[in-house]
Amino acid sequence: MNPFWMRTAGAVCALALVCSWFTVGGHTSTATSRVVSAANTFLSTLDEKQRQGVMFPFNDDKQRANWSNLPVTMVPRGGLSLKELNSSQRAAAMAVVAAALSPKGYEKVQEIVEGDELLKASSGNNPMFGKDLYYISFVGKPSENDPWMLQFGGHHLALNVTIAGDQGILTPTLDGAQPALYTINGKTVRPLGQESDKALALLNALDESQRKQAILSYQLADLVLGPGQDGKTIQPEGLKAAAMNDRERAMLLDVISEWANIAQESTAAARMGELKADINETWFAWSGPVTATPGHNITAYYRIQGPHVVIEYAPQKLGGDPSMHVHAMYRDPTNDYGRGVNKK
Amino acid sequence: MKLRFAAAFAVVVLLGASAFAHRLDEYLQATILSVEKDHVEGSMRLIPGVAVSSMVIGSIDTNADGIISETEGQAYARRVISELSLIIDGNPSKPRIVSIAFPTVAEMREGVGEIHFEFVADLPAGGSERKLVFENHHQERIAAYLVNCLVPRDKGIQVVAQKRNENQSFYELDYQVSGADSPTLSHHWWPNLLRSTGAVGFGSIFRLGMRHIAEGTDHLLFLLALLLPAPLLVIGWRWGGFAGTRHAVLQILKVVTAFTVGHSLTLALAAWGWVHVPSRPIEVLIAISILVSAVHALRPLFPGREAAVAGFFGLIHGLAFAATLGQLGLGRWERLGSILAFNLGIETMQLIVVGAIMPSLLLMSSTRAYPSLRVSGGLFAGFAALGWIVERLLGVSNTIDAVVETIARHAVWIAAVLFLMSIVCWLLRKDGVAEFTADPLD
Repeated sequence: MNPFWMRTAGAVCALALVCSWFTVGGHTSTATSRVVSAANTFLSTLDEKQRQGVMFPFNDDKQRANWSNLPVTMVPRGGLSLKELNSSQRAAAMAVVAAALSPKGYEKVQEIVEGDELLKASSGNNPMFGKDLYYISFVGKPSENDPWMLQFGGHHLALNVTIAGDQGILTPTLDGAQPALYTINGKTVRPLGQESDKALALLNALDESQRKQAILSYQLADLVLGPGQDGKTIQPEGLKAAAMNDRERAMLLDVISEWANIAQESTAAARMGELKADINETWFAWSGPVTATPGHNITAYYRIQGPHVVIEYAPQKLGGDPSMHVHAMYRDPTNDYGRGVNKK
Repeated sequence: MKLRFAAAFAVVVLLGASAFAHRLDEYLQATILSVEKDHVEGSMRLIPGVAVSSMVIGSIDTNADGIISETEGQAYARRVISELSLIIDGNPSKPRIVSIAFPTVAEMREGVGEIHFEFVADLPAGGSERKLVFENHHQERIAAYLVNCLVPRDKGIQVVAQKRNENQSFYELDYQVSGADSPTLSHHWWPNLLRSTGAVGFGSIFRLGMRHIAEGTDHLLFLLALLLPAPLLVIGWRWGGFAGTRHAVLQILKVVTAFTVGHSLTLALAAWGWVHVPSRPIEVLIAISILVSAVHALRPLFPGREAAVAGFFGLIHGLAFAATLGQLGLGRWERLGSILAFNLGIETMQLIVVGAIMPSLLLMSSTRAYPSLRVSGGLFAGFAALGWIVERLLGVSNTIDAVVETIARHAVWIAAVLFLMSIVCWLLRKDGVAEFTADPLD
């Protein structure tokens, strides 16, 4: 073979290599395929009985709505608890959750779970709490094309991630914390600290007449659209972002991003684009004290409501200090459980 | 990623003594109302906390057998419903229970049991603007109430306002029903503009504009203080006598028109989002504008340039009107019609007020009584303005606002008395110009 053909053949081979690398690499790098492959890996570590325990049919609406802020001893969840898994199964289960979330979102989940372990320790080893009592389940078969749902939750946590092709839908998701502030290995942790601080910063940025609209004149003891309240759209209240300036609107979007960005990055970016587009139709309402002890969470309730989002942050009196105990809800009235997507 | 649990805890737990995970000493009662044209549906969730659950259970399970029988359940539902009140446009409507669901007694003891009631109440036919009042007084001492309404399914129903007392035992829903014609909605040659007011409705924004002027004492006081010397001649640095009906009417029209042009301009700009001004400096400037026109009523500050001054301060008042409109939270495309409706409301009310006062001013300004009226009016406006400036600038509340509001509430009577007085003065007047220079300030 003469040098010309040698070089041509070499170039063709190199090109083919690059192309195949892109094809294969592009394929394995989609967010959905990563979750699906993690889910299949997890399923492969289970025995037949466990596999049956973790899988639910896609049309099982009862399991779909089987989540709560309450401990699992009070509201039993479906699926497999981490307690029932050995260490490699457990690692595989957590890898599925990690694949569905952003690193920051996954860290938040860990902090909530760690907090519950502390609650257990501080309440005399109370068997209703602890890191073992978190459940994983699949509603529908993990698939890159057909819709299915990953659930992971327990006390103060309910992740409901619907995956439909390249779309990942995090709503409805509940997060919460008790204690909302703790120290572990010398590190101070506030699982929902940013949610609290950013909202308070927004409230402080408002002028007097905006605050008058944003601050509701009545008490709100709890979430209005918590567990079991699917499919309801209440009349929005408070201050509409159309009456905010650009900086305040950006701050509002930043509060929302604390929930939207729990999801894996590419789906979170799409979601943030959607929420940014209807920011002017988004409302901000506040009820309760307008100050907080520095370094602690707020003791006030707030709600953010737009055409495609409802966020509620509701401090709880239980435990004595509302800054230490919070329940929060993240919904999309048009697309909870991906219903808006799956209808098509 | 590996969880960090395995690491030994070096823990400082910042936690209160109690570590229960459920509602404790409250009886959560959450109601969601859903309004339709001819009825309202209510969905109630009742969740007794652990500490109060035995008391609540005791009032349901009356034979204390640990089971809530159908009879006991129904009796309790009837009791709850009897402690609700539902009033539509001032008339009570009786809620009927349509479904009842109880948790087990054990769940309630744990503080996780949810009682569910659904009720429905008829709404007799009414006008386009309706007011629904819902009150819940069941177990008020231990209750934590929540009341909300769903965004109405019927696109012809639009929520205008929701009001609650602090513990939410009282809830008022103001809403609008379209299709029920109101006079302002019947101009069929404006359909697009009317529709563009969207969620709130042309009629209600028009009325909001009227109310804003009628109740916005500061705007009126500015205008009236500026009109006080309008019928008069200027003699040096003092106000002189009556300048003639033609001059007076023209002068009043010029001031009112200039004020209107000024506030319309900034209202449109601000409502459209092109200018954004924080409300506090605006409120202060408005108070200053009243002070300026009050001083002008005592001594001519800018004789012959009243219209320009009215136009300039109109720009500032318009920004305040925009803030009111902004509170409605309208979308961009709803605004065009809203600005028009709101401004028409303002102009209409302004014309009514000017129309009611102008005859008195014209009649009286040719009499000896006028200087006293002008000076006392100017002083009143001046004191009110000073009070507002202090209040709005320094945040020091004072009685001025309350005094002015009390007087303003009787504005119709004051206007009527003024008119009678002006007729009496006019009938008793002596012809001649020389007497009019008597100025109480001299």
